[in-house]
Amino acid sequence: MIRIKDLAFEYFERDDEGNLTEMINAIRGIHFDVKKGDFVAVAGKNGSGKSTFAKILNRLLVPIEGTVVIGGLDAFDEENTMPIRRKVGMVFQNPDDQLLGSIVAEDIAFGAENLGVPSEELWKRVETAAANAGLTVAVDRRINELSGGERQKVAIAGVLAMQPECIVLDEATSMLDPKSRHEVLATIKELNEKLGITVIMITHIMEELLLADRIYVMYKGKLVMQGTKDVIFGAEDKLLEYGLECPQIVKIAKEMNERQMIRTSALYSVENLAKRIFFEHKESFYPNVTVEHIELPKDKINPVNAILFDQVSFSYGNKAILKNVSLSIKKGEYVVVMGKTGSGKSTLLQLIPALLKPNSGTVYVDGRDVFDRATDKQKLHTKVGYVFQYPEQQLFAKNVYEDVVFGPRNVGISEVEAEKRAYESIELVGLSQDVYDLPLNKLSGGERRRVALAGVLAMKPDYLILDEPLAGLDPEGRREMLQIIDLLHREAGITIVMVSHDAESAWQYADRVIYIEEGTIKKCGRPDYVFYEMRNERELLPVIMQLLIRLRELGLPVTPAPLQLDGIREIERCL
Amino acid sequence: MLRDITLGQYYSADSFLHRLDPRVKIRFTLFYIIVSLFDRNLPFFLLLTAICVLEVLLSKVPVRYILKGMRGILVFIFVCSALNIFTTRGEAFVSVGAVAITKEGLLKASFVFWRMMMLIIVASLLTYTTTPTELTDGLEKCFHLSAGVAVGITIALRFVSVLSEELSRIMRAQEARGVDFHQGGPITRFKKLKTVIAPLFQNAINRAGNLGDAMDARCYTGGKGRTKLKPLKYDGKDIIGYIFMIVFLVLSIWLIIQF
Repeated sequence: MIRIKDLAFEYFERDDEGNLTEMINAIRGIHFDVKKGDFVAVAGKNGSGKSTFAKILNRLLVPIEGTVVIGGLDAFDEENTMPIRRKVGMVFQNPDDQLLGSIVAEDIAFGAENLGVPSEELWKRVETAAANAGLTVAVDRRINELSGGERQKVAIAGVLAMQPECIVLDEATSMLDPKSRHEVLATIKELNEKLGITVIMITHIMEELLLADRIYVMYKGKLVMQGTKDVIFGAEDKLLEYGLECPQIVKIAKEMNERQMIRTSALYSVENLAKRIFFEHKESFYPNVTVEHIELPKDKINPVNAILFDQVSFSYGNKAILKNVSLSIKKGEYVVVMGKTGSGKSTLLQLIPALLKPNSGTVYVDGRDVFDRATDKQKLHTKVGYVFQYPEQQLFAKNVYEDVVFGPRNVGISEVEAEKRAYESIELVGLSQDVYDLPLNKLSGGERRRVALAGVLAMKPDYLILDEPLAGLDPEGRREMLQIIDLLHREAGITIVMVSHDAESAWQYADRVIYIEEGTIKKCGRPDYVFYEMRNERELLPVIMQLLIRLRELGLPVTPAPLQLDGIREIERCL
Repeated sequence: MLRDITLGQYYSADSFLHRLDPRVKIRFTLFYIIVSLFDRNLPFFLLLTAICVLEVLLSKVPVRYILKGMRGILVFIFVCSALNIFTTRGEAFVSVGAVAITKEGLLKASFVFWRMMMLIIVASLLTYTTTPTELTDGLEKCFHLSAGVAVGITIALRFVSVLSEELSRIMRAQEARGVDFHQGGPITRFKKLKTVIAPLFQNAINRAGNLGDAMDARCYTGGKGRTKLKPLKYDGKDIIGYIFMIVFLVLSIWLIIQF
């Protein structure tokens, strides 16, 4: 299907006079071979060149040298542009940037229309493609009304309607919540297995690698690893070196293998691992004994708490976003708010610094109604730092320093003090002094996000509110971001309230998890209790919790809510 | 809230008006707007009202939904028409100094108000019952636009809501960093706006790049060789639509001349 040898590609950057200033994002020396019906993953950290590589597969970019044959067609030949694009469909990261129609059917048909498919057949294709993409919404629905997961399925359907032989997914699930991601991935797997469509998945989400038959790893524009899961995950040190890591399930299996709880670590799903443990330790399982249910301790609303929601409701027009929410957050707490896209998480957060006004109820910060006339808005915004989702998209100044110093200047802090704070907070987010004068577009996405965080930290907030600070970051970026947040929490004593889809880090760091569903707080409490309560929605849980619950179902008397978060030791204790 | 804007957005339903060819709808709406500028008498006014009501009924778009969409604009219409109360000469009702409210003025104001309401309802019904793609297909045919322009319009329509959401998000983000958009003179306010406009444009440019890639990847090469999911084809009900339009036109002219 695809055969690539010695591929090289370069971007050139030129100054105003047309002189070559820089050669960036080059990829070189790539050998890549994919057969029809394969499911291949290409992993790499941000900036590794994997998206550039993806675009070459669809001839959106034309390589400089090498051999690139796609579906028997030479990618160097201009004539082959359309035939190649017809064979290789592409799904991109952001559904909003790739859907062209306003109505589902119109968007699905767009590509096929370009191919000149007659109208009657177009309708057939739209319907088949929608069904194959697992779309359950009517094809005459407005795209604006769909969730992120549904939009991404529309994008997949749009590619399917062109009847490609191969689909390239360029970080196609990175903007979705875990549930939608799970659904989209299941769809892709099915397309591969049932329709025999070749899938090339470009990703930095390690869990997704588990779906692939073969994995390629890119680093700084080069192909540095390739092979089966056994090969790739067997070399964990190398993965770490390339800014990646093993999927959670692999880490757990390896740890168990090292502790000699199981004899192999090549188990790539919770189910397989649980079965393996069962198989090797049958004597420890009591399949017919029902274990007692564990109750979630009730959370009390404490009226003297630092952040307090008193029966707060909020709606956009007729649509109720938050319904009668009461909640209290203590000073110094680390709280993670979880829930599906559109469940009201971001709205909840934006009510705290009075960026949105509730329709009823009151929000208090340090005992003051945030909408009270006597509340000084600027003081509130100094006290409550807010990092929006994708904050790097809100930067505007000419260089790093100017952007960071913007907040303190706004609230009338002296120039000397503002400057001091700017330097401190840039250091706090782990950026070097060299970046102060750099224009923002010279930084990577992850670095820009840290600049945005520094801009909020320069206000010296007591409370730090973060809306999905991990979104779109690669494993290394996530680790760094989590470490920074943890440091702010532990060392600077800042109260953290964070929206996140990442169950693993919530499990590891949070004092409390709040799970929101359709505008109401469904669960609230210590992470282990909350995740245990949510056990019916397995894909939302941390992997270790999924394993514990599965083992419990099989009859191993493990406690799914261990006091210490080390679930592996809990399993070991029971074997 | 910017999200509340429903005006100009498609309302998905299956009705006579939804199924009508966009060309008929575009032409009809244009005629309606043009002739209604000539309303000089009550019978003609009643005809316009009747047509507007009929259109609403044929569209199956709930009246509440239409009115909700007009909420933002209502104040504007109200102020515009209310001006007539004071500027029309005639028999004074109440007078305060030099300003007098006249009977004619009140009458005229209510006529103006009603007419503007109808114009907006009829115009918005066009977009409520026609998807942006159909609309641009129709415009392309009616005004002989090139295919590129038409696709441009479709995308622009789709991105109105995406960008307006983004705008309000960026504004809130800067507000959280201590910007108060409601304070200061025009120059300071303008400077503050820069913190919103710059990232908005940057993001729009990025989006445009991505969108271009997405279009290329889906084999877009302009209008040539492109087929349509819903090709514009007249059928029985479109003929009825045109006949209705001609009747309406003749009737209007007659009423305008007659009274």
